[in-house]
Amino acid sequence: MASYVVVVFFLITLNFFLPRALPGAPISALDDPRSETYVGDESSRIAVENYYGLDRQLGDQYTTYLEDLVQGDLGTSIRFNAPVTEVLGDRLPWTLLLVGTALALATGVGMVAGVHSGWRRGRRADKGLLALFLAIDNFPVFFLASIAVFVFAVKLGVFPLSGARTPFSESSGVLAEIADVAYHLALPATVLALQFAAFQYLVMRASMVGELESDYLVLGRAKGLGDRALKYRYAARNALLPSLTVAGLQVGVAVTAAIFVETAFAYPGVGRLMFESVADRDYPVMQGCFLLLSVAVVTANFVVELAYRRLDPRTSP
Amino acid sequence: MTAPLLEVSDLSVRFGGDVDALRGVGFALDREESLAVVGESGAGKSTLAHCIVGLIQPPEAAGSVRLNGEELIGASAATLRSVRWRLVAIALQGAPFNPVVPVIDQVAEPLREHGGLSSSRARRRADDLARESLLDPALLRRFPHQLAGGERRKATLAMALALDPAVVILDEPAAGLDPATGRELLDRVHELRRARGFSLIAISHDLPAVARLCERTIVLYAGEVAEAGPTEHVIGRPAHPYTWALVNSYPVTSTTKDLRPIRGEPPDPRAVPSGCPFHPRCTQSETICRDRHPPLERSGGRLVACHFGGLKVLLSATLVHKAFHSGSRRLDALQAVSLTVREGESVGVVGPSGSGKTTLARVIAGDLSPDRGEVILEGERLARSWRRDARALSRRVQLVRQDPWDALSPRLTVAELVREPLDIAGAGDQQRRSAVRARLESVGLPGYGTFLEARVHELSGGQLQRIALARAIAARPKLLVADEPTSMLDASEQARLLVVLRELQVEMGLGLVLVSHDLALVRKVTDRIVVLDAGRVAEEGSSAAVSGRPRSLAARRLMEAARAFAVGDERGASERASGGGTN
Ligand code: SF4
Repeated sequence: MASYVVVVFFLITLNFFLPRALPGAPISALDDPRSETYVGDESSRIAVENYYGLDRQLGDQYTTYLEDLVQGDLGTSIRFNAPVTEVLGDRLPWTLLLVGTALALATGVGMVAGVHSGWRRGRRADKGLLALFLAIDNFPVFFLASIAVFVFAVKLGVFPLSGARTPFSESSGVLAEIADVAYHLALPATVLALQFAAFQYLVMRASMVGELESDYLVLGRAKGLGDRALKYRYAARNALLPSLTVAGLQVGVAVTAAIFVETAFAYPGVGRLMFESVADRDYPVMQGCFLLLSVAVVTANFVVELAYRRLDPRTSP
Repeated sequence: MTAPLLEVSDLSVRFGGDVDALRGVGFALDREESLAVVGESGAGKSTLAHCIVGLIQPPEAAGSVRLNGEELIGASAATLRSVRWRLVAIALQGAPFNPVVPVIDQVAEPLREHGGLSSSRARRRADDLARESLLDPALLRRFPHQLAGGERRKATLAMALALDPAVVILDEPAAGLDPATGRELLDRVHELRRARGFSLIAISHDLPAVARLCERTIVLYAGEVAEAGPTEHVIGRPAHPYTWALVNSYPVTSTTKDLRPIRGEPPDPRAVPSGCPFHPRCTQSETICRDRHPPLERSGGRLVACHFGGLKVLLSATLVHKAFHSGSRRLDALQAVSLTVREGESVGVVGPSGSGKTTLARVIAGDLSPDRGEVILEGERLARSWRRDARALSRRVQLVRQDPWDALSPRLTVAELVREPLDIAGAGDQQRRSAVRARLESVGLPGYGTFLEARVHELSGGQLQRIALARAIAARPKLLVADEPTSMLDASEQARLLVVLRELQVEMGLGLVLVSHDLALVRKVTDRIVVLDAGRVAEEGSSAAVSGRPRSLAARRLMEAARAFAVGDERGASERASGGGTN
């Protein structure tokens, strides 16, 4: 727990210093008429200057930054001319929806397939699944996303091209709205889920194979337990632990994948926001996204660790 | 007659196409019987245990394992499930558990799965089982990693007993436990077996641990049965050279003798030697051992897989009589004395002065011919009349006499004395020189320089005794009869010579007859002791028995006279007086 707090604080600090320390001092360049990134608009520039406190001491700036952060003030977006917190708040639910759905799907499919494949190592089912998921895993995610858009949206037209809901549609009841959101979600979530699932599958399969030779399985078999009990209660339950550890390490990769998928499908999430803010040199938003995503990664890792402790009795004395 | 509860026949297991774990193993086990399976690690003990639970199946396994009439090799999954834990339960080596499940649920698991008990009733039953296995039920609530080694094993035992199986297999039940815990556990197993009446198979490389527990023992070597029979025969009086070597390598209090390792390396299961698998390590192997596989045959109250029915008898002297006459007086030096020495065995002959020890030594070495009775050496009768000719030196029996001045020719130099037997054996010159040197150095004498040119009158008694021993060993005898061979040496020199003799026993299966009045010394070197008194055998038995609980007056006297360090040990004196003092 303590280490988690330390890491989060470190990220917050990094978020403050990094843009100021980067070569070419991108933050001060916003205020410099000779630089390319000079913010021309008068009111925006003042807002930026105020936010970054470019005229003050670094230490002062840092304290102000922390104070603002505590009050939920991440500055003002240059592009949207709105508080960054508000901009992020608009986008976050969509990302949560997308990543959450994909993760849930992927975990289900990947783990079940991984357990099955590992248990039947070397048999037909295992070989087939292994080949399939290896192929998916080796496909760059944006490529997969582009193919999905091209085939299902452009050619077949069964799914929408982009967005999270039909624009300007008159809401005709909650149910219809949910259906619309799901309709837009289906393609990006599937692409992302496939990516996650391939990974989950590979890790789970490897963990499972690692358990096959263990003594406690021999014991279970000698005890006359059925195949199902051995597979799930014994092997899979133990294989879950190493696969969980590896999964925690991969959360960062998942975030990157989410950025690509959101961009490819023009899905209005934090990932796409980050992508856009880079293009627009909207530094406050960029920083906000960075902070949000990095804290999310760390938090996910923290949760995984908590889960691991609960699942593995050996971690408690 | 009904079929036995468990019948294993011609069971072979081959892993990965080239690792022979078991080869043609067979035995039967009836209700309420107990069987120890012993052997070095890698002999196939655990594989055998796994087969009896049906854990190893074709194509790896071939042959038959019948449990209660049901064939387990090649059985369907349903058959196996119906047999496992209900009929046969196993406590696996290392007491493994599912690491993420509390122990109690694993002990209760068979009760729920096969016994149909509800979860709470199964747990209550598990508590009872734990108590029966001397485990505090509170410990059952823990996870496996929270239990100590002994507790895990007790939990494993409780788990094995859950469904009251007919056969219980314990694989290394006490390995890694401290002796007290191990003993407590095994004693408990013994009691439980009597109370519940299950048949027991105890598997271990720890012979003494399981030997106490089981009526019968089988010895596995390279995946084969080397010897099988009642434990008191197999472990008490081993017949197979391997069993003999195995027993000799254990530190136990039932023998006073020093440990002897088994020579050579355990066999590689990928390349098991041809013929008798033990032949590269066997001290008595002959050509036939390499060429033909010995069948498992009855020999001396047990089954032995050896072409020679087990350890060869090197010497057997039967009802030997010898009398000396001086004028009209007749002195009966030996009366109806019998003695056997087997391959690698060492026998002590002790007794007071004038008891006939030296006469016996000379008779069995062929130096004196007996008046009556016969002496057979390696199957050949010793000639009655015996001349001291050169051929004597190449004989397979060598005598080291008590008085070295008497035995060593004053005309020869040290080098010549030690080389003489080699000359007769016809070895090459270079070979002889290095052998002389090696022999002298092995008895702690310089093997070079002017010492080699010294003659008997220039040397001390202790040096001469060592030369006499070096000379006897140089002839590579099969049997060495040594009469007080170390009487003139100090304690550390003596200890050194005894180590040399022990190594020869391990390496060549040398038979040793050690004649001495010093029981404290003899008991460290010998397997058996014969006590002579006035020309008769007063007592005979294992070294531990004769020195620990002497029955005859002569033996008691000798034990009383034997040395012991009584420093700071109040009991020393009384123990010696009562003939105790085991170590
Ligand atoms: S004597 Fe031959 S058959 Fe007997 S144990 Fe030795 S090698 Fe094997």
